[in-house]
Amino acid sequence: MAEALLETEGLTRRFGALAAVDGVTLRVERGTVHAIIGPNGAGKSTLLNLLSGELRASSGRVRFRGEDVTRAPPDVLSRKGIGRSYQTANVFPELTCAESVWLAAHSRNAGRLFQPRRDGADTAAREEDALRACGLSGRRLSRAAELSYGEQRQLEVAMMLATDPELLLVDEPLAGLGHDEARMVLALLREVAQQRTLVLIEHDMDAVFAVAQTVTVLVNGRVLESGPPAAIRASPRVREAYLGEEEP
Amino acid sequence: MSLPQGVRAGLLVGAVALALVPLSGDRFWVQFAGKLMITCIYAVSLDLLVGYAGLVSLGHSAFFGLSAYLLAGLANGLGLVSPLATLPLCLAFAGLAALLIGWLSLRATGVYFVMVTLAFGQMLYYLFSESPGLGGSDGVSILQRPRLAVLGRTILDLGDRTAAYAAIWVALVLSFLLLRRVVQAPFGHVLTAIRINEGRMRTLGYGTGRYKLAAFVLGGVLAGLAGYLDATLYGFVNPAQFGWRQSGLVLVTVLLGGKGTLYGPALGAALLSVLEHFAERATEHWSAVVGAAVIAVVLFLPRGVAGLLEGSRG
Repeated sequence: MAEALLETEGLTRRFGALAAVDGVTLRVERGTVHAIIGPNGAGKSTLLNLLSGELRASSGRVRFRGEDVTRAPPDVLSRKGIGRSYQTANVFPELTCAESVWLAAHSRNAGRLFQPRRDGADTAAREEDALRACGLSGRRLSRAAELSYGEQRQLEVAMMLATDPELLLVDEPLAGLGHDEARMVLALLREVAQQRTLVLIEHDMDAVFAVAQTVTVLVNGRVLESGPPAAIRASPRVREAYLGEEEP
Repeated sequence: MSLPQGVRAGLLVGAVALALVPLSGDRFWVQFAGKLMITCIYAVSLDLLVGYAGLVSLGHSAFFGLSAYLLAGLANGLGLVSPLATLPLCLAFAGLAALLIGWLSLRATGVYFVMVTLAFGQMLYYLFSESPGLGGSDGVSILQRPRLAVLGRTILDLGDRTAAYAAIWVALVLSFLLLRRVVQAPFGHVLTAIRINEGRMRTLGYGTGRYKLAAFVLGGVLAGLAGYLDATLYGFVNPAQFGWRQSGLVLVTVLLGGKGTLYGPALGAALLSVLEHFAERATEHWSAVVGAAVIAVVLFLPRGVAGLLEGSRG
């Protein structure tokens, strides 16, 4: 069995009486794409918020590289190597693409408060690589607010890549994108997945089954099934859960 | 962001003009311009918080007042007059107070942060105005102004109006240049990004609290410098310096001039001082005139006077 990069054990998050994530146990293997699917309201984004430290777990454990990080805040998790992108573009509207990606790259030096503007070739190279990989080299000096929605999603991914994460938590990267933009982002995710580990939430089942090695199905905050795409596609329980939704 | 060419030239002309004021020999204008420059330092120190870090503080006067009162205490109680001792002590005291108040206040966000900082300012106001040992509501006169002597010979006497004026001018120029450097460094870029989208900055790996606290302390130290200079210029401190009115006025100055530019709030301080002076002479209802001018600027120049100078530049 491959080495686990991220593991959860009985992870639970309650909002009052509602358990949005209820006893989720996951094992994400290093170097794989692990997709999390489920109907709307299944708790997928809440689970990602727990993994990125933006929400505190009510109970359960999260381990990253074997270390317990259940109570770690988002900045600590980011510096440990967990990157995050969002369901809707979460950028800095007043900053240019270059400034936004530079901030992300510079965060690896954020242990020191005061530093010169150009802090080493590594930061500049990460900034440049991330912009190029996401097709934004020509938009370096455009403000995020001036970008199309699709470009803002590309900028999201570029910022995430510039932090050089080992594990990427990617929330619906294709949502709201046109056909061409979606193809480009999908190709980018495939490329990224060759060197890193991805936890992917996506409603586009074709995309999920094309890139994922493992698929976990969440329903009502609980794991319904988890396994290789072919097994998930064939599972009667999954088909039943998706009645009224798109068939996987 | 680099300064527009016209603004850079205007700042140079303004600095030279201010340096020449003592040559007029008019005591009133020297005092007036000295106070104006102190207000500039005070306003740019708050601009670091409001304009860059997005921290709207209504307790900024706490650091101004604490530094001023400590100078009075050191001079009157200990007979300590050397600025080489009193200035670092007063600034360190303001910085420590900012560290403590900031550490507590920054646990709140938005309007709650405003209210907590306001509460700290008011606590200090009542503490100083109701404690006879601290001068009570009458305040305290400073018996000996800062004076630097070497081998029994005085080489700098800040009790002398012109010397005090020169020290204030140097302090303003250095404060402005320091803050320009800070906001152009990565620290300044990080602060701006935190103001725009703090949640995203955290998931990018920034411990945003540390950055905000560092800005709060730096702003507090510079407000303390303004308080030290004010006490030196007037030789008097009083509890009103802690009051919310003082914090509110400096906040209005920042908004009037244009937050997030540094030179805007300095310009705002100059405009407000001049407007107040002439309105006072024209009518006994001068504060209504000043209020109307502030309302007009807020309504028609949402980016302050600096926005007017920078035109469409974002």
